[in-house]
Amino acid sequence: MRHYIKSIKPNLLSGQLLVSELVLQYLEQIEKSKDLNIYIEVFEEEIKAKAKSLDEKLAKGESIGALFGLVISIKDVICYEGHKVTAGSKILDNYTSPFSSTALQALLDQDALVIGRVNCDEFAMGSSNEHSVYGPTKNGFDSDFVPGGSSGASAVAVQMSTCAVSLGSDTGGSVRQPAAFCGVHGFKPSYGAISRYGLIAYASSFDQIGILANDKEDIEAVLNFLSVYDPKDASSVENFLQKPEEKKSAYKIAYFKEAITHEGLDPEIRSATLDQIEKWKNAGHQVDEIAFSMLENVIPAYYIMTTAESSSNLARYDGVKYGYRSPNSEDLQSMYINTRTEGFGPEVKKRIMLGSFVLSSGYYDAYFLKAQKLRGLLVQQMEVILNDYDFVAMPVSPCFPWKIGDADKDSLEVYLSDVFTVLANLCGLPAYAFPIKQSDNGFSISIQLMAKKSFDYHLFDLA
Amino acid sequence: MEMEKLVNKYELVVGLEVHLQLNTKSKAFCADENVFGDQINTHTSPVSLAYPGTLPTANETHIISAIKLGHALGCEIQKEISFDRKNYFYPDLPKGYQITQDRNPICVGGEVVLDEMANKTIRLHHIHLEEDAGKLQHIENSNYSLVDYNRAGTPLVEIVTEPDFRSGEEVLLFIQKLQQIARYLEISDANMEEGSLRCDCNVSVMLKGASQYGERCEIKNVNSKKFAKKAVEFEMMRQIKLIEQGEKITMQTLRFDPAKGTTSPIRSKEEAHDYRYFPDPDLIPYKVTDELIDQLRQNASILPKEAQDVLINQYGIKPYNASIICQEKNHYSYFIDLVKQEKTLAAPLANFFINKLSPLAEEQNISLPDLAIQKDQIIQLVGLIKEEKVSQNIAYKELFELVLKSDEVSVEKLAAKHGLIIVDQLDTLGPDLEKLIEKYPDKFEALAGGKKQFFGLFMGELMRASNNKANPKQIKELIDKRIKEYLS
Repeated sequence: MRHYIKSIKPNLLSGQLLVSELVLQYLEQIEKSKDLNIYIEVFEEEIKAKAKSLDEKLAKGESIGALFGLVISIKDVICYEGHKVTAGSKILDNYTSPFSSTALQALLDQDALVIGRVNCDEFAMGSSNEHSVYGPTKNGFDSDFVPGGSSGASAVAVQMSTCAVSLGSDTGGSVRQPAAFCGVHGFKPSYGAISRYGLIAYASSFDQIGILANDKEDIEAVLNFLSVYDPKDASSVENFLQKPEEKKSAYKIAYFKEAITHEGLDPEIRSATLDQIEKWKNAGHQVDEIAFSMLENVIPAYYIMTTAESSSNLARYDGVKYGYRSPNSEDLQSMYINTRTEGFGPEVKKRIMLGSFVLSSGYYDAYFLKAQKLRGLLVQQMEVILNDYDFVAMPVSPCFPWKIGDADKDSLEVYLSDVFTVLANLCGLPAYAFPIKQSDNGFSISIQLMAKKSFDYHLFDLA
Repeated sequence: MEMEKLVNKYELVVGLEVHLQLNTKSKAFCADENVFGDQINTHTSPVSLAYPGTLPTANETHIISAIKLGHALGCEIQKEISFDRKNYFYPDLPKGYQITQDRNPICVGGEVVLDEMANKTIRLHHIHLEEDAGKLQHIENSNYSLVDYNRAGTPLVEIVTEPDFRSGEEVLLFIQKLQQIARYLEISDANMEEGSLRCDCNVSVMLKGASQYGERCEIKNVNSKKFAKKAVEFEMMRQIKLIEQGEKITMQTLRFDPAKGTTSPIRSKEEAHDYRYFPDPDLIPYKVTDELIDQLRQNASILPKEAQDVLINQYGIKPYNASIICQEKNHYSYFIDLVKQEKTLAAPLANFFINKLSPLAEEQNISLPDLAIQKDQIIQLVGLIKEEKVSQNIAYKELFELVLKSDEVSVEKLAAKHGLIIVDQLDTLGPDLEKLIEKYPDKFEALAGGKKQFFGLFMGELMRASNNKANPKQIKELIDKRIKEYLS
């Protein structure tokens, strides 16, 4: 139930397992893990019917897709034709998408099935999955704790074996950090590799659909079909991802001194990271500690640019065309104000205000423009480093999951916990987070690797 | 008188922002069909309605149209262009922002020369690409409005001039020239009544010779060139009066009421939006290649001025006639096909074109090639006039009518069949003249004595006697000869 390529697919093809049986097992898991608040909606009848038709297809000997019987869940920001999609927000209350995202369609075309849509932070803004109109999703390791976010429920969906793969989105670590919190694999591709058409936007120049699964084989299998050029997305790149010709026996890996000595880094995560580095060295790879003084700038650059973009991206939710419209309005102005005040949650409102501020006249140069320049410098620096090294290794999160509703954690502290993940998004680089150790505290510890743009598949060679 | 003196103290300063809707097949950033005047909300899609998850993509034809216009107006075409978002809330704006160009517009500089105004030059600041909004329909006595999104996303170029206009007449001529050029380039119908060309006028006044412009007011969305002229002229007077009363001009946005001929405020600029322009992260910068620029330059359409020069210099058409023929490109093309066939007939063809063909096409509301007369027949007909086989009068009226109605291809045959050919009638004209002299002996004597005013009498009577088929030249010769005989 956990590994599609390694076990599920062979069993399906050999006839030892029917898609219908598989689906029932997942539905049972969903039922068992109901308390974790993973699914907003389960497409139970629909997937049962689809499973049956797939079984018939195979029985008849008709040609089948490469992802035959792959059961996936989708984050509530991925559009699926004829299905509701709400970005975890009241403002998209009852909204049904008239089209499917290009990425999802590519999987459906290969006979994958969607079991349901899963919870997330509202408009993918958050690192804990607490900011959803549907309430928080809980971590399968310990239900008092957050699963990370914003694709928190995607991580728990995979963690609890309610599906083989979940599609999430990663704007600043939203796939990798919850994957690390829940002990599953999380992958964010190079910017431009997977079409954003049909992904509800948070910050356009950062967003990428990401993949959560139980192993790298499943991620790779799905990525094969997701990374196709899409003329509907101007940032989609043709013939983009480079597959490695052959596996190297020894790689050059760098890690940042500023990351490993970061004051917020949990000592156990630090030592697990250093242990992994030792393992690589022992395996014959060259691993160097290098300086990256700009690390302290990534959080401000990231939050200025993403909030700016989101303040504009979310302007379309105005009550005029679809979604929620406040019933208690007298004129246009009050309809706008009431709709958006009642429709958006506090975290989203905070980011819209921050973003509007950094773009407003008189502050644009001081904030947005500066952040943009900083981003340019970061891109250059990473290019230089990745010309020299195959990979950059980093912890995923500086800390372990925290308790749901932890009053001690202020939002700035949570923002700062994105310090290791946002770099990949600022630079458009591929990044892959995978577990390296089970902690005694019941949680898992992961590490992430970043590679040069378009070298996504290379990441799976070392991991 | 008092007012006139006042006005003379001041100088009007106007700059224009002209929005031109382009006639591309699809909208600016999505595949919706770009059409005007269809049933409401029939040309929309998830993209143009800004459904969650949708993305804009640039339309190359939009960019190409702007480059064509840039070439025609002598602009510098920018090699790397990008798009920006202009953020504001309004129900006709589905995304909550308009995609426009704030930092790297497609065209920079350029000019329009008003040859009617002693070659006064209006400099252009830049031309940028953007998209149009939808249309709101306010329902009277109700608490709601309706929106039609057919227009939302229509490709526009905005042409921004320097504040170079000094009169309403210049404004009018500029718009007229721009319309003419856009139509020659076939990038827009530039029809102001339908809103495919709209104009914002920034108006200020200053004392003549002043070095600093006054505070300006913006008249929004003027939809006729005559209104534009009237609006700036009214606004000039309004501002002069205010200044003369010792008041200050405050920056504001105005609308022009064509019925009253006055401007009135829409909203004050102080409470205007902060549009929070920033680069659109959904659209990557677009590279305009040298190949594309060269290719568009090489295949560029002829322009009104060039067309006039061809008619004047190569065919000897009078400048005034040339400008009339070149008002529309299809008129020019049609005419040039005619004169190419018979260069020697250029001048009479121009007359016939301006006085008969063009008015008839307009009257029947059809294009020139659809007239029931072939080009070859036009040449025959004008040729008959030149060869003095048919009088101009008859050719323009009866013969032209006959050609339009008849299937006969040969105009000369048609003229002959209906007895319109000038015939040599010296046999009968001589006796006729003698009869006239008998009838009007005094008048003939007077004519012979130099009183030319009596010539018309004899000429007219003789023409009538010949049923208008006589050759006027022959009649004149006959009369002159008879006078000589009389005097000798």
